[in-house]
Amino acid sequence: MRLVVLERHTVPTFYMEMVVMSGGLSDPPTQRGLASFTASMLREGTTKRTSKEIAEQVDVLGASLSAGSGLSSFQTNVSASGLVENFDPTLEIFSDVIRNPVFPKDEWEKFKARTLAQWQLQRSQPMFLAQERFQRAAYGDHPAAFIMPPADSLKKVTRDDLLGFHKRHFQPGNAMLAIVGDVTLKDIQGKIEQAFGNWASLIGAGVPKTVIPPAPVPGAAKIFLIDRPASVQTVLQLGNLGITRTDPDYFPLLVMNRILGGGPAARLFLNLREDKGYTYGVGSFFSGSKFRGTWTAFSSVRTEVTDGAMHEFMVEFKRIRDVQVMPEELENAKRALIGSFAMVLERPEGLLQNVLTLKQYELPYDYWDTYPQSVEGVTAADVQRVAKKYVDLAHLQIVAVGDVSKIRSVMAKYGAVELYDADGNRIDAAGAKGQSE
Amino acid sequence: MRITNLLLTGGMAGAILLFFTAGAPAERIRKIDFKDTTLSNGLRVITVEDHSAPVVSLAVTYNVGSRNERKGRTGFAHLFEHMMFKGSENVGPGEHFVQIFTNGGSMNGTTNEDRTNYFETLPANQLDLAIFLEADRMRSLLITKENLDNQRHAVQEERRLGRDNQPYGKSRETLQELLYDNFAYKHSVIGSMEDLNAATVEDVKQFFKMYYAPSNAVVTLVGDFKTDEALVKVKKYFGDIPGQPSPPTVDMTEPEQKAERRTTVEDPLARLPQITVAYKATPGDTSDFYALQILSATLQSGQSSRLSQKLVKEKELVQSVFGFIAEHRGTGALYITATLQPGRKVEAVEATIYEVIESLKKEPIADWEFQKAKNASRYGFIRSMENSLTRAIMLGQYTVFYNNPDLINHRQDKVAAVKKEDVRRVANKYLNAANRTVVVTLPKMKMATAAVQQ
Repeated sequence: MRLVVLERHTVPTFYMEMVVMSGGLSDPPTQRGLASFTASMLREGTTKRTSKEIAEQVDVLGASLSAGSGLSSFQTNVSASGLVENFDPTLEIFSDVIRNPVFPKDEWEKFKARTLAQWQLQRSQPMFLAQERFQRAAYGDHPAAFIMPPADSLKKVTRDDLLGFHKRHFQPGNAMLAIVGDVTLKDIQGKIEQAFGNWASLIGAGVPKTVIPPAPVPGAAKIFLIDRPASVQTVLQLGNLGITRTDPDYFPLLVMNRILGGGPAARLFLNLREDKGYTYGVGSFFSGSKFRGTWTAFSSVRTEVTDGAMHEFMVEFKRIRDVQVMPEELENAKRALIGSFAMVLERPEGLLQNVLTLKQYELPYDYWDTYPQSVEGVTAADVQRVAKKYVDLAHLQIVAVGDVSKIRSVMAKYGAVELYDADGNRIDAAGAKGQSE
Repeated sequence: MRITNLLLTGGMAGAILLFFTAGAPAERIRKIDFKDTTLSNGLRVITVEDHSAPVVSLAVTYNVGSRNERKGRTGFAHLFEHMMFKGSENVGPGEHFVQIFTNGGSMNGTTNEDRTNYFETLPANQLDLAIFLEADRMRSLLITKENLDNQRHAVQEERRLGRDNQPYGKSRETLQELLYDNFAYKHSVIGSMEDLNAATVEDVKQFFKMYYAPSNAVVTLVGDFKTDEALVKVKKYFGDIPGQPSPPTVDMTEPEQKAERRTTVEDPLARLPQITVAYKATPGDTSDFYALQILSATLQSGQSSRLSQKLVKEKELVQSVFGFIAEHRGTGALYITATLQPGRKVEAVEATIYEVIESLKKEPIADWEFQKAKNASRYGFIRSMENSLTRAIMLGQYTVFYNNPDLINHRQDKVAAVKKEDVRRVANKYLNAANRTVVVTLPKMKMATAAVQQ
């Protein structure tokens, strides 16, 4: 087990995170969500404590304890934070849930019931529906195509499956513990040793290596409409595949995205909100993993201006591709990125996250030290080059969630339309009848 | 930053230890030394020097919120807040955003029932910029019909985003209107579409003159500066903005509630029933308020809370339950919201909530529950002390709400002073049927329209 300690003595608190280097990408194909379920169930009972005891003891300490893994993540994160005076008891519970979970059968059944209810609730959120369909459109059969496990998978997974996943993947050789806060290495070294020193693999075998599936080849541009009756806004998400985290295009894309849609000083905001008044918020975003991530633009606009908003998105997409950005705009974006990078460093979790990113992606050791220079080095020509490459109109996937009776003809102007209901069923005549995903 | 690679021995053989040190030397939570100054035009300025990071945070808190709105103009205080980003004599429309962000900062503005605030965090060498931007709009806001219409649209989209296009959005607004009798709190902060449409340029001008005067605002500055120098800058930019007569005070008297109020909302966007129970409570910074905070933590904070254990875990009636005690200058409220699991009855959930509440009235809470509530409060407070912005915001709020910036140094003592018996006392005093308002949301989903099937 690798340990990272970052001392931060401004306030008497701490934050710790165990990164287990296996996550949703290790899910068997018929059990999507297994890593996520395993993580969520960690605090539902151990060899030493019941679910209720864990809840009470964590809450009494004024601490927080949570765990999770994404469906396309290559890791599982377990984190705890609290007052430094309660470091010892928090660490003890933290190590207990990581090392000794028993996944009690009755707790697993309860978890399944309330999780299914929570998924129901999510389906009433238009942004969830947009995100869900967008990921499907961008990723096809790749694990990243799913942001919620199939209900079938949740129903089928058994307690033994959880135990099995935990045994195979929660091993000291597959984990890294990072701690930031009002602690000193000298003080906590022995405590960490006590909590994790005798942590041994439960199966005496190595951890199955995470296979990183490559993202698919981008598909042709398409429109996905999701009917959400009684909607008064259209939620729009437009984009396509982007880059891996280690792609050399990272910094040019960072600057390009900042100019186009990164915050209230960006073009999309100044146009769609400040000039047109179509929306409360609009922007764009990209992320990269060990496989290609996505670049997307998004907004929620009142139904009546769906057409106008689509038009302005296209205007801005074409402008950033066709016309080189002006020097002042470029310099402003770079200054903003470098400035906000410095601000992140003031936050302990932000600094810790940077350290973890460095390790996870095996970035050069001086990656963060040279971050300002890397941003500074981006030219207007670079920005235009990555705009042409990633604001990829030929492969643009467009998702619109709203009142389809009012927006269908508008959206059809932008390409071939597939129609879905809010449960993910395709409902247009061209789709397979009643096909459910 | 110091980085050391160590190899631990013993059971951790093979472990690689990376060791970093960052930030200022050890420094405990200590008294916040602030300087409290009032300029000749009535502007109150509170400054806190903090050299632990090279940043500065500025907050301007105006003593105006949705409680100051009149009938027919709900949502106006918030709409006005948006106008503050549309330019002033020396700042172009939208330039505020650009200036702050391109200088590496962050900023925002927020409006609630009781106050409106504007704030930014910037690298310490940009202190002048922050002060200049805030002073320029306090002095010379650019008020045009074009800007008003534009922001009216943006705010109406904000309303659609947060309420009209969201499940349970209508229920939240309905609850607010049912809970209170005094108009000050009897409407949402976001306001109605009709009232937003009705707002005029003349309204904006009057509101600006009446409420956005230096004498109705508090500037709080926290960060890496020298107090004397910062005050010189504040005086330079704000000092000659003319003061105004005090705005009319708002009568916050809330008549005593005599009987339970309830209603049912049919919601075409919701998929699961939800119930919210609200009890009228005391204003903030009163001993009963702090006792109700402990009570609320016992009742509904975290997985260990009584409602969570009973409703989520034992009876499996709901998929989640949460709530809080709202801090207001006038009559506050304790809210409990539970969203059901499919196939469960609202009546069963409601009865269980009351059963759990009755238990708080009969017996003192357990030692561990008491400890939990106090630790959670302290941890939350300490976390909020971590960055300069939260401190600036809290100082501004305590000054405008209670005329007491020093509350930042005493608030935790007030929580610590609560006794178990106080928790039982406030349970009996406030959590009664006659004092509650209940809103039940029932899903009424429309089917995907046949019209869309070609």
